[in-house]
Amino acid sequence: MQNQQQPALAGALDTLWAKFLPEMNQRVAALESAAKAFQEDELSAEEQEEAHAAAHKLAGVLGTFGLTRGTVLARELEMMYSRESRPERAMAAQLAAVAAELRTIVASRK
Amino acid sequence: MSRRILIIDDEDDIRQVAALSLETVAGWEVVVASSGAQGLARAVDYQPDAILLDVMMPGMDGPSTFRELRKNPATARIPVLLLTAKVQSTDQRRFADLGVEAVLFKPFDPLTLATQISTVLSWS
Repeated sequence: MQNQQQPALAGALDTLWAKFLPEMNQRVAALESAAKAFQEDELSAEEQEEAHAAAHKLAGVLGTFGLTRGTVLARELEMMYSRESRPERAMAAQLAAVAAELRTIVASRK
Repeated sequence: MSRRILIIDDEDDIRQVAALSLETVAGWEVVVASSGAQGLARAVDYQPDAILLDVMMPGMDGPSTFRELRKNPATARIPVLLLTAKVQSTDQRRFADLGVEAVLFKPFDPLTLATQISTVLSWS
């Protein structure tokens, strides 16, 4: 059953990806913005919470669209923007680099 | 055998991918709800064979929704599977202790989601 339905499912998933791509990009943008704010020592608690939520949502959905590496990276950011603590200063470059890689991964799926 | 599944998730993308998966791969009938409160009403109205319930939702979250489902005699016996992106073992234990049939994880594989549900619920 699964093999017979695979092409139809893949096509329908591509359609859904196109539909939700603006939301994916918005979530990545929230992560890029948070990384920039953190580098400039201007990350507010609200921005951190937004970044945490964006990372959590991306972690849950990217793998469903076949972007397994995207889920791994989003999980990393979810932990870094955890509600319980501020990211460490040494993480500033990493936050930006991971967000940039996520941008590339999201853009790569057609 | 055709089944009727209720998906309760506030995330539109997850809801639609899960519905697509269950409809396309398994041919099941899917009803969706975007909040815990809406899910409680749909569960009463549609009497699904199982409920796929997101954990993190604004307002009434998954565990609270599950407890309300169990309190209502009209929905108390419907199997519930939690769906979560939380992977820490402490969270997993907490969810399992609620008494749900299973905890499934995001991201799920759309090709095998129906099989996962069938296996957990011993549906042939």
